[in-house]
Formats: sequence, C-alpha cells, structure tokens
Amino acid sequence: MATSKLQAIWNHPAGPKTIHFWAPTFKWGISIANIADFAKPPEKLSYPQQIAVTCTGVIWSRYSMVINPKNWNLFSVNVAMAGTGIYQLARKIKHDYATEAEPAVASE
Amino acid sequence: MATSRFQAFLNSPIGPKTTHFWGPIANWGFVAAGLVDMQKPPEMISGNMSSAMCVYSALFMRFAWMVQPRNYLLLACHASNETVQLYQLSRWARAQGYLSSKKEEEKPSQ
Repeated sequence: MATSKLQAIWNHPAGPKTIHFWAPTFKWGISIANIADFAKPPEKLSYPQQIAVTCTGVIWSRYSMVINPKNWNLFSVNVAMAGTGIYQLARKIKHDYATEAEPAVASE
Repeated sequence: MATSRFQAFLNSPIGPKTTHFWGPIANWGFVAAGLVDMQKPPEMISGNMSSAMCVYSALFMRFAWMVQPRNYLLLACHASNETVQLYQLSRWARAQGYLSSKKEEEKPSQ
C-alpha cells in the first residue's frame, strides 16, 4: 500500500522526475530569501522588487491552476510569496510614513 | 487581415483572456524591478533575493518549455530575468568584497 502510493507520487506527471516538481520547489527560495530579509532594516528594501514579488505571487496562484499538469506545489509557493511580499511592503511603507509623521507631531 | 489576426490572438487559448498570458506579464515585473534597482547603490541589493532569483529563473526556463500549453512568453521573460539578476548578483558580490581577493592576487603578478 505505502509502496504503491510512493510509486504513484514518483510517476505522477508533476512528480519529482519532472521540472514541474523542481521549478516550484526552488521558487520557495524566493520566499525564504524574503523571510531572511525580514531581519534587515526597512530602508534596504526595494519597492519595485517587493511589488513584483507580491503581484507575481497573486497572479501565479491562478496560473498554477490552469496549466497542464495542475500544480499545487506552484500554487502554495506563490501564495507564500504573495504573503511575504505584502509583509515586506507593509514594513517599508510603515517605516517611510512613520518618519514623515514624526515631524508633523514635532511641529504641534 | 490585421483585424482577424488580432482577433485570433485575443481568442487564443494562451491569449490575454487567460493567465497563460498574465502570469508571464507579472513576471516581467521582476525584470523591470531588477532594471530599476540597477540605478541604486550595491548596498541596496539583497544577496539572498538575487541568488534565489538566479536559481529560480534557470529552472523556470525549463518549466516554461515543458508546461502545456508551452509558454514562449514565459521562457523569454525568465531568460531576461536570469541576465538581470546575474548582473545584480555580480554587483552585490563586488560590493561585499568577494571579488577583491581576485584583484589582490592579480597585483603581485603585475
């Protein structure tokens, strides 16, 4: 039973014998890189890059479902990518606008 | 003729009514973001992100070729992104001093 299940996974059209498995698996590297960058100061973040990460994550969540073979691994990594991108953007926006808010407070 | 050709594109199974088209378009955002970041000083580059991007685009060039329907737009996009990110990575490596040992080795030979 366990053997036949592993056999099925191994021979799946989107299984580990194919690029359909490995490409999304390495795409996790982008989300992991973004998570590693959570420790960096917000001023080092790049708006264009994080916006690209977020938009790509959202659109590719849909794309994963309409390609042949359907790719749940690709779907989940893109959801994670959108999530990390949004968080990074939130950090940077908060940092930039909080800085602007302080002078206004000081002037009062 | 031009009208019918545009109509064919519009209604194609990989045309703008589908995410087979918009997925790659979104990915061009990475290329554009990389190009914009080339204007910034090397300290702004994230080594983590650039390294991950290089591996990611290399694998997705293969993915674009194998997926049904085959996606040439995606293939071109990832080839471009690979080029941009490799350049960014080299700028970052140079700024971090990873390439300076090469320069130091070159000096004695001169």
